[in-house]
Amino acid sequence: MKYRMPTRQEKTLLNRALDKWGVFEYFKEKLLMIGHEDDGSAKICIVSPESRAASSKLEPYFLGLVIGDLKKQFAPSLPGADLFARVGKSNEYYITVDENAEKLVLYGRDVMGNSILQCSDTIDENELVIILNSRNESIGVGRTRFAGSSLLQKGKITVTTLADAGQYLRDEG
Amino acid sequence: LKAIIFPDSAESSSLAGKYNYDRWLVSRFLEYVPDVHDFLDKMEKPPTQYIRANTIKIEPDELKIRLESKGFSLKETLLPEVLAVQKAPMSIGATTDYMLGHYYIQDLSSCLAVDALDVKEKQTVIDIAAAPGGKTTFMAQRMKDTGCIVAIEPNERRARAMSFNLARCGVSNTCILQLDGTKADKLGMKFDRVLLDAPCSCEGVIAKDVTRKTSHTPTDVEVCSDRQQRMIESAAKLVKPGGLLVYSTCSFAPEENEVIVDWLLRKFDNIVIEPLDYGTNGLTRFNDMVFSDDLKNTRRLYPHIHDTTGFFIARLRMGVT
Repeated sequence: MKYRMPTRQEKTLLNRALDKWGVFEYFKEKLLMIGHEDDGSAKICIVSPESRAASSKLEPYFLGLVIGDLKKQFAPSLPGADLFARVGKSNEYYITVDENAEKLVLYGRDVMGNSILQCSDTIDENELVIILNSRNESIGVGRTRFAGSSLLQKGKITVTTLADAGQYLRDEG
Repeated sequence: LKAIIFPDSAESSSLAGKYNYDRWLVSRFLEYVPDVHDFLDKMEKPPTQYIRANTIKIEPDELKIRLESKGFSLKETLLPEVLAVQKAPMSIGATTDYMLGHYYIQDLSSCLAVDALDVKEKQTVIDIAAAPGGKTTFMAQRMKDTGCIVAIEPNERRARAMSFNLARCGVSNTCILQLDGTKADKLGMKFDRVLLDAPCSCEGVIAKDVTRKTSHTPTDVEVCSDRQQRMIESAAKLVKPGGLLVYSTCSFAPEENEVIVDWLLRKFDNIVIEPLDYGTNGLTRFNDMVFSDDLKNTRRLYPHIHDTTGFFIARLRMGVT
């Protein structure tokens, strides 16, 4: 990947996104860089100042931790969702699922309404959400199929799982 | 350097036959492995599995409670982050905590090599031959994910796999370079700490791969030794004055361990081999070779004595005036 600092416009977009995910304060002191894959897609990476200094002299194959992709909007990656859940304040963009659903999500399955323990009344349909287990740990990233309390509908898939931590294990295999 | 071959004896032939090793290898083990009978017995058993709590995400006590509630039995070790798995109701690599990056499956010996490196927050560190990233992630957690770790791996597929491991563990202070470790000195940088866990003939992990009992050849030792010499020379040039270089392998072969470190001591001035608190002394002689007496400060870890995979660790303080 090729790495560079974000433009002013990208910084504004990122700050809004980080605020949305409840991690703006945490990232105030952090350094973010943009990595471009060969296909042109932009990855947002958290990088230590020392790594940035080193990378200016080297040609890194990979730098820092990818916390998400930046297209028209910011979408958190699995490590990004994990970091946000650890350091941020859970808000409407986080849903909590029960233990049974946790296992299913880690196999890449979608979320049934009756397995959601906690979600916001104000969340819209088609929004990205971070899926948490009952210990408030991120287990995946999903997209809502319904708005607000309709997410709790019994017997229906209400959140599509886009990425899950089980991928790490499946990729190893 | 030619690997030294010793003549067969009645003992080496008998042990080689009993445990299905090539005779040349057992003849050598008799020269540098203590209590060879116990050693060969131990190598027949599955090695003890260890996990290392990823303190970027979880404290070791909390991890222990969680895994024990799932039926695992875990025991403390020399290092606070490392736990020995004594009973496992399922594969230790298939738990939710593993997927969430709460721990890394890693032998205690590998963790001791990182412990010997004594990394501190905000330092610059280079890990030569870093994939799959186990030692890199341990360094990162000891550094509280600050500073910079330059992790070198020449193979793209392995470099990519390492990036996944770093991501699972939530490590952000790394810079992966696709580079041959023998050329690391061309980077134009100096580091506080340098780890060279050199590619080796893997004599120490025969219990994990029993095909090595007969597929391992003297040529393996010679090829590895030659590469290790080039790598340690390159690594030594990367250390800031007063900084540390840790050299390790998972081999017992003196040609890959003491011979390499002794060569470095002769090649460069002002290197001190610092003592470590675990393992047994390194060799100060092998066959007709006599090494610097300081080589006793290097450490050897044996499966039948230390319950780890076979390992060698040397902690070298560089540029001491």
